Formats: sequence, structure tokens, C-alpha cells
Amino acid sequence: MLEVTDLTKEYPTPRGPLPILSGISLSLSRGDAVSIMGPSGSGKSTLLYILGALEPPTSGTVTLDGRDPFGLTERELAAFRNKQIGFIFQDHSLLPQCSVLENVLTPTLVAEADGGYAERARSLLDQVGLSERIDHRPAELSGGEKQRVALARALIRQPLLLLCDEPTGNLDRKAAEVVASLLLELHRRQETILIVVTHSAELAARFPTRFELIEQQLRQA
Amino acid sequence: MRTTTLLKRNFIYYWRTNLAVILGVATAVAVLAGALLVGDSVRASLRDLFLLRLGNTSQVVSAAGFFREQLADDLQTHPQFATAFGAACPLIVLNAIVTHDESRRRGSGVQVYGVDERFWKFHGREGADQTPHNRELLLSPSLAQELGSKDGDAILVRVEKPSAIPLESLHGRKEDVGRTLRFSARGALPASALGEFSIRPQQGAVRAVFVPLRRLQRDLEQEGKANTILISEKGPGDAAKPELVERLLKDAFTLEDVGVKLRVLEAHHCLSLETEGAVVNDALAESARRAAAGLGAQTSSFLTYLANSIRAGGHEIPYSLVTAVDDNYSEGLSGEDPIMLNEWAARDLGAKPGDAVSLDYYLWQEPGRLLTQTAQFRLSSIAGLSGAAADRDLAPEYPGITGSESLADWDPPFPMDLGRIRPRDEEYWHQYRTTPKAFIRLAKGQELWGSRFGKLTSIRIFPGSGDLRSLHESYRQSLRPTLDPVRMGLSVYSAKAQGLAASRGATDFGEYFVYFSFFIVASALLLTGLFFKLGVEQRLREIGILRAIGFPAAKIRSLFLNEGAALAIAGSIVGLLGALAYGGLMMLGLRTWWVDAVGTTLLTLHISPLSLALGAAGGILAALACIVWTLRRLAPASPRSLLSGDWNVQRRGDGATGRGGEEETPRVFLYLPVAPSPRRPVSASHAAVAFSLLGLLLLLGSALHWVGQVAGFFGAGTLLLVALLCYQSAWLQGSKRKIIQGSGWWPVSRLGFRNATYRPGRSVLCIALIASATFIIVAVDAFRRDSQDVVLDKKSGSGGFSLLAESLLPLTQDLNTAEGRESLNLGLPDDAALAGVTFTRFRLRPGDDASCLNLYQPRNPKILAPGDDLIKSGRFAFQDSLARTPEEQANPWLLLQGEAAGGAAPVIADANSMTYVLHLKLGDEFVINQSSDHPIRLRLVGALKDSLFQGELLLSEKNFLRLFPDQEGYRFFLIDVPPEKAARVSAVLEERLSDFGFDVMPTNERLASFHRVENTYLSTFQTLGGLGLVLGTLGLATVLLRNVLERRRELALLRAVGYDSSDFVLMVVAENAWLLACGLLTGTACALLAIAPAFFSRGGHLPTGSLGVLLLIVVVTGLAASLVATVAALRSPLLPALRAE
Repeated sequence: MLEVTDLTKEYPTPRGPLPILSGISLSLSRGDAVSIMGPSGSGKSTLLYILGALEPPTSGTVTLDGRDPFGLTERELAAFRNKQIGFIFQDHSLLPQCSVLENVLTPTLVAEADGGYAERARSLLDQVGLSERIDHRPAELSGGEKQRVALARALIRQPLLLLCDEPTGNLDRKAAEVVASLLLELHRRQETILIVVTHSAELAARFPTRFELIEQQLRQA
Repeated sequence: MRTTTLLKRNFIYYWRTNLAVILGVATAVAVLAGALLVGDSVRASLRDLFLLRLGNTSQVVSAAGFFREQLADDLQTHPQFATAFGAACPLIVLNAIVTHDESRRRGSGVQVYGVDERFWKFHGREGADQTPHNRELLLSPSLAQELGSKDGDAILVRVEKPSAIPLESLHGRKEDVGRTLRFSARGALPASALGEFSIRPQQGAVRAVFVPLRRLQRDLEQEGKANTILISEKGPGDAAKPELVERLLKDAFTLEDVGVKLRVLEAHHCLSLETEGAVVNDALAESARRAAAGLGAQTSSFLTYLANSIRAGGHEIPYSLVTAVDDNYSEGLSGEDPIMLNEWAARDLGAKPGDAVSLDYYLWQEPGRLLTQTAQFRLSSIAGLSGAAADRDLAPEYPGITGSESLADWDPPFPMDLGRIRPRDEEYWHQYRTTPKAFIRLAKGQELWGSRFGKLTSIRIFPGSGDLRSLHESYRQSLRPTLDPVRMGLSVYSAKAQGLAASRGATDFGEYFVYFSFFIVASALLLTGLFFKLGVEQRLREIGILRAIGFPAAKIRSLFLNEGAALAIAGSIVGLLGALAYGGLMMLGLRTWWVDAVGTTLLTLHISPLSLALGAAGGILAALACIVWTLRRLAPASPRSLLSGDWNVQRRGDGATGRGGEEETPRVFLYLPVAPSPRRPVSASHAAVAFSLLGLLLLLGSALHWVGQVAGFFGAGTLLLVALLCYQSAWLQGSKRKIIQGSGWWPVSRLGFRNATYRPGRSVLCIALIASATFIIVAVDAFRRDSQDVVLDKKSGSGGFSLLAESLLPLTQDLNTAEGRESLNLGLPDDAALAGVTFTRFRLRPGDDASCLNLYQPRNPKILAPGDDLIKSGRFAFQDSLARTPEEQANPWLLLQGEAAGGAAPVIADANSMTYVLHLKLGDEFVINQSSDHPIRLRLVGALKDSLFQGELLLSEKNFLRLFPDQEGYRFFLIDVPPEKAARVSAVLEERLSDFGFDVMPTNERLASFHRVENTYLSTFQTLGGLGLVLGTLGLATVLLRNVLERRRELALLRAVGYDSSDFVLMVVAENAWLLACGLLTGTACALLAIAPAFFSRGGHLPTGSLGVLLLIVVVTGLAASLVATVAALRSPLLPALRAE
């Protein structure tokens, strides 16, 4: 369960605090999939990063599975994110010097124990249709293929929360369609809480729950 | 807003990277300028030291013998003297051994100065007259300390006894060559009061004593005489002065000053020209005859000699003078080998004309033996004891002989059997003194008794018309101008000019320290370039925006160039302060840790604006070059790629751009594209294999002696280094890898190692830099020389000799003969130590040390002349020579006996001295007394390999005697003795020959002293190179910092997926450690291979301690730097890199 209560975020500037998010509350359970749309600079990514414990809120609380990540030490927080949260970004951010399989396995290197992730990685790559490409380097993949690898990487640890920031933003229509379908399919299989920030109305339309972030407030569309 | 405003804002805003650039430039400038300051400081220190010790001396007149003290005044009162010179001061300068009577502590190589109040006045110290009086003696500070003397202590000074009579002639006093004088110490004379007065430049401590001139003259029986005149300059500019002094000298000298005596013999109505040395050489004889001919006077030449016996018909007369006469006096000499006896001799022998007469006489043979020879004659006539036959003035004056009252009182320098003297012999002496008893033809006499010193004992000049007195005066006037005082023993040289020229140094320390500091400068410039590049790349988006809004690329380049120039100038200003610190530190090092390289602690920092300016200019130019090189790569990038801030990745034409499929192929930097090309790994592998094979081939060639061992292993090490770098390059670019999986610190570390393949070219560059620097620093150890043990190999640097010795006073005796040893008190029964010991003798002409031990440039090198025994032995090894014939190639020593090419005498030098001190090569000439009218040209024909002759030039004995006839006897010895006996033999020789100032040293000690200098240079290079390497590891950390910043998005993702700071640190440090380890291990392994022959030849000893510490410091610094860089890089938030907007 993801509980967000009265979340506020302000950035300090020399001319006073700049409000980005104001009084946002949200409650999501396993299997929920939501999209968040909003104009540029509305704070969508900021909200995503707070939910992913990448940035702390100015005020309010976020709990995931009953735990407040911002109350943890840095090490505990890193372990928390490693176990509970998967990320997919607009730019896939794959490691160019590692193979496809190794990129998927990257989060497992800092896991507390070796949980036989190699097999899971192969399975995920198979599910995203890249089982033939496990030894290839990112430079040998198309944009859509890279994003599929990022998707597999995000799910390797079976996270509770899957956060996507413009996952299809850099892809053409066809590739975006493939990635979007895979994203939703895998979310369904893994029963994650899926939150997608997007500009794409088409992608947003595929989600049962849609939000808009306007004037620092989150409203259900 | 103007461009300058933008520049100022950039300067302040990006202060961190700008500061790093400034520090990089500052380091480079500090080191460059500092190194140049070292050179200036050494030169200036040497110069200051020399001038302090020289006082007001500019020119020096000196002689092997003595001349009138008055000559100094005669020079000073010459009309032309005051136009160029200030004053002239006579003194006596001698070499001595000084002994502290109470403690018996000894100092050798001491300069004795016999001075009076004129000396202090000459040096402008009239008010501080330090003149010693009576038996007082002043010491230089270091000598006083060495002897431990206090006021009032008795000091014994032993000097060579002056004698005009050639030592290596019959009448030379060979066993009595020295004189010990006793003085009382009056204390040490500080250096500021000329206590370290020295005419020749030397960086070491000065050993000198000052004694009263009058006392010294009396003790040496040279009243009113001196052997040196100091001349001060009137103003600056010494160039033409020696020639002027020579001209003045030619006007001022008298016959007495050059040892020529002109007697008026009233009884014989003639003048007699003789010399103090009792022989008239050919040049003087020629001048004498010419001068006489010019006056219309007649001359006759005579050679008078002592016969041990005149024998005829079973009778003999002992110890008689015989005179060889020329044709003017040969009336009674007819027939073959005629001899004329005076009536006394004929009567005593009972001889009549036609009888056979034989003469027995001593002959001194050059190698050092007195032989008795016999010559046969036929009595042609008997002369009455009157007229020319009763001339007692035909014999020159021989101290101890001609002045004696009786034959029994004779004190000759050769054996004499007084038992042979009969009463009638004493009667003859009493009545006729030195009247010759026999006469032979001059030609015969010269054949029997002529020597290299001369073939006459007198020339008589008879007036054609006029009286004798007027002839005397006119002949003196006529003869003097025909004589060249410089050829007759007086020498003139410009002490100040020569010393100042020498002060420029044999070694350019500035150049050496620039080389030593090369790695520091290179690393500093690398850092400068890296940080500047880092700064530029951090501002790619800014550059993209400027391009997007219309700034042309050239304008942007100019902006950054101006910024870079400003940074470079700022850095150089800071660097100049650093230069003073670096220079000061290096000078401190030369006075302390590296004092073996310079042999003095008197070097201080001197600040030269020119060096600072050159260093600053060099640093700025180098930094600007780095900056220009960086900016050169900026131009091809498109604004769009710049705006994205990630313009290094090659994008594919698959619509991934989202902009209608436009393919963007920004050109990349100097590093390789990320996608490994199928061709590149193959070519790197091929190169690796090729270099490996070449290296193995070289090893094989070395093992089979096709190639020299050192060259073979060194070459193999270098090729292997290149091969390993190629292998690593190929590996980094390859794609086959073991999968990184698992969890914990090891997989994370492996990820760090894998990150090195992110930019293979950059990684290889880092490894190559570290490996190369390590290789050089370790491999130079191959050149370290170790001469701990005595080497008996006759082809080694010691020639197989265990000991070498130098004596202050010349030895004429042959120490290899029983007679020679006995005459020197070395033949006592208990001296079994000397059994089987052989001596190889050398003649020696003192001069400047031409080895690396002397910081001053040698202008007048010490010269040794070996005898034929050494030349024929073929000992020592030659590095190179001008040998042409098979005999010369087998034994290049023979080149010394060759003809002088174009008037230059052939010499051999040590290869190190020839190259690094004299800066000459084979075939070049070295000219002594270049500025005088009598230069001596020497041509280098052979180069010895790492020999103990590094301080000297070697000349054949024949050429030595021709060029330096005043240098008599032998003063340098190489001694063959088994090493186990060496200490005992050394002690015996030093004790028995202490009167000659015999100083013995093991040959390996001499070699070790040279090697210490070289080894210190190597250590300096290794230390500074190591510092450079340490600085280079900071560059490595900077590269990693760049990598981190370039991969911020990836690292942000890793943070997002749960990597914490410690994981990042581990990754980056692992990557750095991997690069460091590759570099260090590659460089060290190849270097060890390169120095393997030297390693084993030294018995497996390596300075592992110092090298190990150095490399450990490099590792620790590198890792620490990467840690700091990582922490700094990760301090700023990574997450913004993830943002889509």
C-alpha cells in the first residue's frame, strides 16, 4: 500500500520558497495503475521522485508498505529503494559497458543476498522479447529495445512500486505502443503499484486511473 | 552586458574548476621556473664562492721556479700598467702537506701562501692587516678544524724544496726533494678575511695556510724571490688582459727572472752565459748565439760533466771534471774519439798520446735509475795547465760540489766512494778546483751526456771589438728581447676570467632539473588540460545555448581561450611564488639529501628574473597549448548535441531521436567510440603479438650474445611494455566478458573494473602514462653503479689495480727495483708486505679535476702520462676510440704514441668526463691556455669506459715531457697488490713515504666516489619522477571524476535502484585501483626485465626499499585522490540527471 498524506514540496530560492506541490494526498494498493499528466513544470517528476524516495517532501508523509522511507538512514533507504521500488526513466540510463543481461542484473549486485536473479533476469528478458539479445550491448539496441531492458531491470527485484517518468517519451509511436503494452502486462503479472508520469494522452488513456497535476494540486481526471 | 562581463562572471561562477586549472598551471610554472632557478643558483653560488675566494685577483703570473720579487714592482711601474691594472703583489704559492705536530693529524693538498702586508693591501684590507710574523701561521677555517689546531700549536709544513737543477738529471737531489718548516698556529682566518683564498675555483673546502713571506724565502733559500704575482684589474672586461700582461712581462723581466746567468770572466776576456739549472737548452743556446752574432761577437759552447774515473794503463783518477768543447777549442783533438788530458792528469795516469783512455760516468736514465757507463777515447794530446786548459770557470755551479773546500766535503746527489780520493786529488782540488782534467769534442760529449734539459752547460761570448763591460751591457740588452719569458717558465693566465667561465659549471643543473622534473611538469600540464576540459564539458549546454543564440564557433573558442589565458596567467603568477619554494627546496636537497652530487653545502638559492620569466612563459605557453588542443575538439559538435549535454554517444537512425528520424552523428573526442569496432581489437591484438615476438627475439639475441645484454634486456623490456599495453587495449575494447552477477562488494568492484571499458582509449592512456613513468623510474636503476668490491679484472674500470696513490713531491726512483725501494727506505727486511707488489708510474701535471666531482668547468685539466708499461699492457676497457689498425683496435692505448695530428697531441679521457664534463667527443680538441700566445692543443683519441681516470686526461710520456718539461718525476701510481694485502701495503707506503706526501687509496673507493655522484643524480631523478607520478595519479583521479560526471545519469539510476554512496565509492575506487595496478604492475614488471642483467651483476641487490616506498606512495596517493574525487563528485545531487525535463 502506498499512502501519501498532505504532501507539500517547495524549493528554496533567493527570493523565497517556490511551491511545487501542495497538499497532495494519495492512496494506492497493489495492482493499481495510475497515470499523472500535467503541463511542463507542473511538478510531475518531482512528485514521482518523492514517491520513489529520491527526494524528501517539504512536509507531509509518504509510506510504502507501512514504512516511511524518509525516516530511514541513507543505507536503509538505499536498501528500501533497491527492494521496493522500480524506476523507468525517459532516458533508459543503461550502462553502456554492460550487456543486456548485466544491465538487468545491476540492482541485484547490491541486494542483501544472491537470490538466483540470473534466472529471473532471463525470464524477464524473455517476457519483454529480448531473450535473443542478452549478450548484446545497449549501443546495439534500438530505443524501444533499450526501454524494454530498462523495464526488465526495474522488475528484477519484484518491487512493490513501479515508477515511470515519461517511459515512452523518446520512442516513436510503434515502439511506444510495444513498451506501454509490456509495461501494463508486466505490472499486471507482478501486481505492482504502477505510477506513470506522461505527456502522452494516448498512454494515459490506457490507465484505469488518471490524475492531473495542476497548480500544485493532484486532481483525478 | 559585454564579453568581458561574461568572462568575469564565468571566472567567478566556475571557480572550482578554474581554481584547479590555476593550480595545475601554477604547479607547472613553479616546477619549470624552479628548475631553471636551480641552474642559476648553482652557477651563481659557484661564481660567488669563487669571487669571494679570489679577492681582487684578476691576472696571475706564475713560474715553476722562482723569480725576483722585484718583478712585481717592475710590472707595476711600467707606463702601461696603470692603463689596465690596479696593483701587482708578489707572493710564494706552494703545495704542501701540513701536520699538526701534537696530534699528528695531517692535511694534504694544502696551499701555502708566503705573504706580507702587500697581500692584504692588494685585496683592499689595509686596515685589517692579518700578516703573520716570524714563525706565525694562519690556517683556513676548514683546515684548522680538520687538524684540530689551536693558537700556539706547532704546525709542520712540508713543501717541495725548490731547485733549479732538474730533478731527473745527475745532479738533481732525488731523495731530498722536500723541506719541512715549523710554524706556530695563530688561529683560523675566516673566509671573509680571505682565509679561503684560492686562485683556482673549487667548490670544496679550501685547505690553506698563510706564512710570512720573508720567513718562507729564508727557509727555502730563495731570499728576495717569489713564484707568483697577483695582478688586480682597474676596471671590468678581462678579455685582452693576459696578452697585455705578457707584453708587460716581456718588457719588465730580467735574465735572472728566467734563470739565466751572465758572468763576466775577466781572466778569459769573455762573458759566460749559464743557467741556474746548470744546463743550457737548445732554445736558449740559439737565442744566445743570435744575440751575439747581432753584436758581432763570437761564441763558444761547452758541456762539462763529472767522470767517476779517468782510466788509462791500469791507473785511474777519481771524480774529475771533463769538458766537451766546440771547434774553437778543439785544436788538440784530432783523430777518432780523441781526448786531451791536462798535464796533471796525464802525469798521474802515466799516459802519452796514442794511449787508450776510458771515462766512467754516471748517467741518470729517465725511468729512474742511475747507470754507470764507460766511453773509450784515444789520447790525442796533453795540454799544459795554463790558458784555456786551466779554466776553472768551465764548470757550472753545483750546490754541494763546486763550493766545497775539499773533495771529502762533497755532498753530491749520487753515490760517491770517498775512499777512492787520494791526497793528491785533494791537492788538485785545492789548487785548481773545478778545472777540467780532460777535454773531448763537443759532439761526442753531447752524445754521451746530453739530456732533454739541454746539451750545454755554458756559452762564452767574446767581444769582437770594444771592452768587456760594454759588451756585457749590450749583450744583456740584445739577448733579453730574444727570450720569451713565457717559454722560459713564466706563465700568465687570467685567473678571474677563467674562473668565471668555469663557474658556468660543467653540469647545467637547470637543464638536469628540468629533465628530473619532467614528470611533474607533464603531470601538472595533464591536470591543467584535464580540468580545463572538464570545465568545458561541464558547460556543454551553455556552449550549446550560445551557439543556438547565434555565437559563432570561433567567438566561443575565443571566449574560452581568453578565459584559459586568464587562468594561465593567474596560475603563472601563483606559480612564480611556488618557483621560489620549489627552487629553495631543490637547493636544500642539494645541500642535504643529494649533497653527494655536488660535494659542497655552500650552494644557496639565487633568484633570477630571467629564469622566472622563462618558466612563467613556458608554463603559460604549455597551458595555452593544452587549452587550444581542448578547444579544437569543440568545433565539430552540433548545437543540439551540445544542448543535450551528452554528445559522445553515437545514435542510430532508428527514430530514437524522436525528431523525424534524423540521424545525428556528432563527432567524438579523442577517445574511441563506445561501440567496439570489429577491426580495432584485432589490430591491437596483432600489435601486441608483434611487439611480444620482437621482445622475445631481442631476449634471444641477448642470450646468444648477438646483442649486448643491457641493450637487449632494456629493449626487450620496452617492447614488452608496449606489447602489454596493446594487450590491455585489445582487452578493454573486446566484448567477451564474464557476466557480473551475485551480490556484495566483489560484484560491485567488478562493475567498477568493467567501467574502465567505458572509455577504453582513456583507460589505456591512463595505464600507459603510469606504466611508462613507472618503467622509466624503475629502469633507470639499471644505470646505478655499484663498486663495492675490488675488481681484479684488467678490463674493468680499475684496470685490475687494487690501489692508487698520489704524492705531493715527485718520486724519480723506480719503486719496482730494489735500488729504488732502498733509496726510499722501502727495502727493509720487515717489509715483506711489499713483496710481489708492482707499481705503474705516471707523470702528473696538476690541474682542474675533470670528473663529475668538480662542479666547475675544467679549463686546465689535470694531466697524467703513463709509461710504456701501461700502454703495452692494454689494461682498462675502452668505450670507443679512433683506432684504425688492428693493433690499435686491440689496444687503443697505442693511439697515444701516434703522431700529433696538426700539432695537437693525442690524449685519452674517460668517456663520462669527455661527454658530460668537457662536452667533447672523439676527434675534438681541448685547448689549454687558449687565450695566451702559447696554447696547448690536445686531441681526444680514446674514451675509457667507467674508469678511475675520470678526473684526468692521459698523454704519452714523450708528449708530456715535450709540452711540460718543468714537471719532473712521478706523482701518480697504480699499484698491483692482492686485495687481502692492500691495507697493509697502503699503511707501509703512507708511513715510509710520508715525506713525499704519499697518499694511498683503494681504487674501488675512487670509482665509488664517481658512482656516488651518478647514483645521486639517478636518485634525484627517481624521487622527482616519483613525485611526478604521484601528481599524475591526481590526474587519474580527475579522469575518473570526468567519468563520473559523464555518467551521472547512469549513476543516478543506480542510486535510484538502491546503490548507496559506499557502493559508488567502491565502484570508482575499484576502477581507479584497477587502472593504477595495471599501470604499476606493467611498468614495474617490464622495468625489472629491463634491468635484469644489472640486477644479477650486482648480486641481486636492488634498492627495493626506496623504490617500494615510492611505488607505495603512488598507490596510496592515487587511491586517496580517487576517493576524494568520488566523494566530491557524489556530493552534488545525482538525481537531477534523471529528470526528463
